[in-house]
Amino acid sequence: MLDHILSILIFFPAVAGMLGFVVKPEGIRAYGITVAVVEFALSLVLWLGYDPSVSGMQFMETLPLVPSFGINYIVGVDGISLFIIILAAFFTMIGIASLPETKNEKNMIVTLLFLQMTMVGVFAALDAIAFYVFWELSLVPMLYIIGAWGGPLRIYASVKFFLYTFAGSLVMLVGMLFMAYFYYQVTGKWSFSLLDWYRLVLPESYQIWLFLAFFLGFAIKVPMFPFHTWLPYAHGQAPTIGSVILAAILLKMGTYAFIRFSLPLFPDASVFFMVPIAFLAIIMIIYTAMVAYAQEDIKQVVAYSSISHMGVIILGTFALNVEGISGSIFLMIGHGVVSGALFLLVGVIYERRHTKLMSEFGGLADVMPRYALIFGIMLMASVGLPLTINFVGEFLSFLGFYQQSHILTLVAGTAIIVGAIYMLAAFKKAFFGKVTKKENENLPDLNKRELLALIPLAIITVWLGVYPKPVLGPINSSVESVVELMHEKAQNPEYKKKIADVKAIKLARAAEVKEAK
Amino acid sequence: MEKYLYIALFAPLVSSLFSALFTAQKKKQFVGVIASLLIFTAFASSTVLLVHILNGGEPIHVTLMTWMATGGLNIPFGFVVDEVSVVMMMVVTLVSTVVHIYSNGYMDHDKSFNRFFAWLSAFVFSMMVLVMSDNYAGLFIGWEGVGLCSWGLIGFWYNKESATWAANEAFIMNRIADLGMLIGLFLVYWNTGTLQYEEAFAAFPGLDHATLVWIGIFLFIGAMGKSAQFPLHTWLADAMEGPTPVSALIHAATMVTAGVYLVIRSHPLYDLIPNVGLFIASLGAFVAIFAASMALVNRDMKRIIAYSTLSQLGYMFAAAGLGAYWVALFHLMAHAFFKALLFLGAGNVMHAMHDELDPFKMGALKEKMKWTWIMMTIASFALAGVFPLAGFYSKDAILEVGFVEHHYIIYTVLLVTAGLTAFYSFRLVALIFHGEDRYTLFGIHPHEAYKFMLWAMSPLLILAIIAGAFQHTFFELVEEALNAVHYHIHSHVTLWIMIIGTQAFVLASIFYAYKKYARKGIKVPDGTSETEQSFLYKLLYNQYYIPYFYDEYFVKPYRELSSIFWKKVDLKVVDATVDGIAKVLYSTGSATRGMQSGNLSTMLRWMVVGLVVLLMIAVAVGLAARYSAELSQFLAGLGV
Repeated sequence: MLDHILSILIFFPAVAGMLGFVVKPEGIRAYGITVAVVEFALSLVLWLGYDPSVSGMQFMETLPLVPSFGINYIVGVDGISLFIIILAAFFTMIGIASLPETKNEKNMIVTLLFLQMTMVGVFAALDAIAFYVFWELSLVPMLYIIGAWGGPLRIYASVKFFLYTFAGSLVMLVGMLFMAYFYYQVTGKWSFSLLDWYRLVLPESYQIWLFLAFFLGFAIKVPMFPFHTWLPYAHGQAPTIGSVILAAILLKMGTYAFIRFSLPLFPDASVFFMVPIAFLAIIMIIYTAMVAYAQEDIKQVVAYSSISHMGVIILGTFALNVEGISGSIFLMIGHGVVSGALFLLVGVIYERRHTKLMSEFGGLADVMPRYALIFGIMLMASVGLPLTINFVGEFLSFLGFYQQSHILTLVAGTAIIVGAIYMLAAFKKAFFGKVTKKENENLPDLNKRELLALIPLAIITVWLGVYPKPVLGPINSSVESVVELMHEKAQNPEYKKKIADVKAIKLARAAEVKEAK
Repeated sequence: MEKYLYIALFAPLVSSLFSALFTAQKKKQFVGVIASLLIFTAFASSTVLLVHILNGGEPIHVTLMTWMATGGLNIPFGFVVDEVSVVMMMVVTLVSTVVHIYSNGYMDHDKSFNRFFAWLSAFVFSMMVLVMSDNYAGLFIGWEGVGLCSWGLIGFWYNKESATWAANEAFIMNRIADLGMLIGLFLVYWNTGTLQYEEAFAAFPGLDHATLVWIGIFLFIGAMGKSAQFPLHTWLADAMEGPTPVSALIHAATMVTAGVYLVIRSHPLYDLIPNVGLFIASLGAFVAIFAASMALVNRDMKRIIAYSTLSQLGYMFAAAGLGAYWVALFHLMAHAFFKALLFLGAGNVMHAMHDELDPFKMGALKEKMKWTWIMMTIASFALAGVFPLAGFYSKDAILEVGFVEHHYIIYTVLLVTAGLTAFYSFRLVALIFHGEDRYTLFGIHPHEAYKFMLWAMSPLLILAIIAGAFQHTFFELVEEALNAVHYHIHSHVTLWIMIIGTQAFVLASIFYAYKKYARKGIKVPDGTSETEQSFLYKLLYNQYYIPYFYDEYFVKPYRELSSIFWKKVDLKVVDATVDGIAKVLYSTGSATRGMQSGNLSTMLRWMVVGLVVLLMIAVAVGLAARYSAELSQFLAGLGV
């Protein structure tokens, strides 16, 4: 089974979703939970079977689709994608389990299962076309979730989300076609396989154009400033489950793709664009944090805070050294857990009061102490307190980028200040003070279903903050091979210097171990 | 011995988690008792460790497990008990034990009794991590941990707007400094390849001077936040919103001294950069007199003590900056004892006065609260540096350092501050305990605190009296670790003139304060008297208008700019552009629908137009490419 576990992980939810149509409406929730639990268990099997000492791809499967054009179904997993896949399975499970009473429950659960297929597919695909297909397919269930279960502006929000990201990915597709064409020019063979492309060394000017084409697709997905405005609408209108999946997993597609495609394929261009991208990341960090501070709606605070944190992830990615990239991947997982939990928490209060305006609350710590406690833990993780999951990623990202630029890191580091400002202000408005509204006086605290979803998230938040090694270890070895590849491929000697020389680091480490002995 | 290290470190954590189990429930007395016992266990273990180190035992070093490891970075959870950390552990656990026991009485009627102990013990744990860590990253864990607990405890009464505001202010202001600290850590890592103290200290002498200066500056910025040095000092006075035991433990004895500890711990670094050290010392001396001046006129009992803390922190930095690390550490220790005592005494007074904080509304309390009076008076004598109490030994040593190192300005400033300290301390004592009772006007019936609270305070009282006797032992303990030297003034005449002169000055200040504020006929100030109208009084009373300045020029503009960014920039510019492009595309689509009318001649006409346009573009691009080498290279990427 282990040989095909990735395909099973991808297609099991889709098949189960298909069968879900014939399940009776009363049983659909239990059915959905069962499927999601099985899927999550499978993802854990994947983790158990994963060999952390190997840095390359594992569990690879290849199935020719259009061999004459080099289009194949290729999937594989390494330390970079492994944990995001597990996270996707985990959040689908949590999401379905904590789903409140919804109209058309069956359609919702089937949609979520389809969404799960596309998410796992994106992170497992090693063929550009397969990647592209999953990437675009993931838009459809999300469009449906926002459009069918969203707020009053749901149609505008969902169409905006769809068209905006779709337009970006079309440009990316052109880039992919050109890559394959270039591969054909060089080798006389067509290939869309990512591992084949890794071996290509492109001239610098080609790299720059291709980087830009891919960049547009990824940047809109992340979303990077100034392409971010679809996100507040999407979050504002989406139901809780939509926001949770969107923030926890879908946004990570963009940052993941930067590491999977942009860095190893275009090492020179990555260095070339490092400073401009760092500037964008800094704008994301500070500007959106300030916008978050100005919000009146608590869900929008979390939405804008996501953009701010994604800025740190981008910064870590473009540190182009092992510390920074490992940090950015770890932060993807950390931010997934924390922002997913925060959206769930916002959903809890929305379900009770049908409003998300902070001015409607105040003194909730008196009425809902357990809710306040879990919110508090997630708040502290969000501001990046040590021993929470976010600190590890944030610290490493900044640490990594510090090697590239001291000043820019200092400016970007204000993330820890501005992040504290909007989160603490929001927490104060909603939870502290006296209960002023009559409606809030008898709000019920978290119920069992909600605790079931939130307690595991709180545990992970602290556990991986204290002991990140099980996740950081595999990430580290895969990142080392990416950076090594980049360093080897970079042609411009000026740029080569900017990419960390992993071999030298490894040698130094080996020498140290020897000395210690 | 390792066993004791683990007990000292983890007993507070156990205490915190245990108390946290009951946070949602009503007051449970046993929570307070068990928490106090666990903290006492940590104290007992620390004592065993101290004895071990005092007897010349090797420092104890343990590594629990790896925390973060990636690339060249490897950070373990490592802890060390050496001469420096054991002193800090003693101070922290001793004051914590006292404060825990005391809080059983102080928080007696609070509905969140259990939550209080959860936070308080969590603080002790964070502080232990901070002082025991063997690397900068571990120190940072404790650093942020104490910040979190400080937030939770300042805002403990979260229904109060002023308390939650102060909590957020403290957290955010500390975060500003923490950024400096982080940058310091990054500098250490990228220049030495490690964050372990030992390895980094060994590598520092090999670095160039400029790098070391930057490391020193950024680490000190971190210290400035925690230790509330100018200009990041405003949060400390506002932090007095928290329960008084919290002020005693966190905002007097332990957390605020973390910055001093950082400088002392990094002394191999600061030894290499004396110019940064001089800056630290100068800033310390400035803060000493600056804070003392604000304490002169303040009318809030707790704030006066908070400013005094700030002022004493200035003394510590002055000593540490001049390289007299052991003197700084000794003053840190002595100060922890008498300042915690002073705060706990103030807590008794607050309880007696139903949370009234204005000493002008008290008076003559010595009759009702004899023991509190005695304790606060002795603590104030110690703070003022009167012979033979603890403050005399520790503070006089700092003055001598300034003199011996020929920094006469620093010396003079600190000397003047000693006089101010004596004045405001006894202004407070006189107003609270002497003169006529003014509280009857406000219908208050004061009573002495519980016996066990007074007993809990007694160890601090004893130490405030006798701590000076340990000076020699202390010196021998840290001599090697901190390269301690005795600061001898060679001429005996000068030495005696200095000591006697200082004592006379301090005693005169005390006498003047007593004369002025213990007399009959003191009125509650109503803002009409001549003094209160004077510019200087207003300046000091409004804390040099610094909080006002921060509010007006940082807080408000930040809020307004945020609002502009959201409503004007994000919605009206960025998002409107996107929607605009979409709209243009959409309307071009509808407008050009006419082209594809199916009419052959129209379509042919459009074809010609298209061809001409394309040709023109091609020619233009070709010409441009010919005359611009760069463009052609760039276009090569497109395959042109």
